[in-house]
Amino acid sequence: MNIDDETLMRWTDGELAPDAVARLEAAARTDSALAERMATARRLRAATQAAFLVQVDPRDRDLSRLIANGGHVRAAPLAGLKAWLSQALAPRQAPIWGGLAAAAFVAGVLIGPGLNSGSGIRVAEDGVLADRDLVKVLDRRLASEGADNAGRAVGLTFQDGEGRWCRTFQARDDGLAGLACRRSDGWTVQALAPLSSPMGEVRTASSDTPAAVLSAVDALIAGPSADAVTEARARDEGWR
Amino acid sequence: MDDFQTGLVELLPRLRRFARILRPHDADAQDLVQQTVERALASRRGFKTGTRLDSWTFTIMRRIAIDDGRARQRWGRVLTPEDEATARVPDAAQADEGLRADARLVRDAIHALPEDQKHAVALVLVEGLSYAEAAQVLGVPAGTLTSRLVRGRQTLMQTLAEQGVTG
Repeated sequence: MNIDDETLMRWTDGELAPDAVARLEAAARTDSALAERMATARRLRAATQAAFLVQVDPRDRDLSRLIANGGHVRAAPLAGLKAWLSQALAPRQAPIWGGLAAAAFVAGVLIGPGLNSGSGIRVAEDGVLADRDLVKVLDRRLASEGADNAGRAVGLTFQDGEGRWCRTFQARDDGLAGLACRRSDGWTVQALAPLSSPMGEVRTASSDTPAAVLSAVDALIAGPSADAVTEARARDEGWR
Repeated sequence: MDDFQTGLVELLPRLRRFARILRPHDADAQDLVQQTVERALASRRGFKTGTRLDSWTFTIMRRIAIDDGRARQRWGRVLTPEDEATARVPDAAQADEGLRADARLVRDAIHALPEDQKHAVALVLVEGLSYAEAAQVLGVPAGTLTSRLVRGRQTLMQTLAEQGVTG
């Protein structure tokens, strides 16, 4: 029996009429070559399905919340950030991000426990930090002063290749850590990642900082990070 | 949540799977799922109750992927080593190493197919849509769908047989 590939395919996919199925399967009982072709076709389908299993993904919880909100993306604290992130990381703009570990950065932002708690940090669509309390911490707080009453603290302070001041921060209650650099119109978020585990006290050591944020620091830092004296002077001069 | 929202939440794992076929890199796939959900919510009036939500949403995702693909061609694609690393995230669901290696070969072979064949294979073989439903999602006549499926399958069989996966 001469069976073409399309018929075989239809049989595999359950798209063959019942009488044609019966004829084909009857023929296979006496035609070993045909039987082997049918087995191969079945194996391909099974292998394809096995290659793309449905998997539970922690990011689906975040999307579920977006759906539950009916798509009112601006109501969710992180939605603006996500929109900005996807825009900032769009291929046409990728070169702007240069040395930033873009993929690790995205993974850091979108995977993790901190995003499922309903908390977050407000960031304007151009990436400028719009969270008043966190801006205040970045503007005024020194690393040596530790965390404020909501667990916001700064870590490293340094200058990038363009002379902009950059600071790593943690926001314990929001479950996030990040890096922001000073521009004329405010602090621009360079990286943001969930804190890996809840901490009783936010310390300023860089070891508490998620890898995605540290990668961003590595990509931007020019020279050593600021010591306490330099940090205080830069603050008093308004991060200019 | 209403039925539409519940249906969309239940669809998320499948949307993510379809996105992983259209976009091999994890960050790109996530972006595609997010955009699809946002567009589905924004255009939910276009969904007819009683029709299949999966086909409707796959149509949206595919359209976004195509538009996005055109933009990528215009602007070029910047690949970082991290992209490659995230694309190789191991499959926790498949503990057996041999199976995992086979699954990777199959994924690579599917990703390497021409776009139109890849979409047909994804919808029928992976997502289990009927030929009629898949043709509707792709916006092509049934005959076009079947010929893409035949060609895609022949290529897959040949590639995988050479690698000893399905042979």
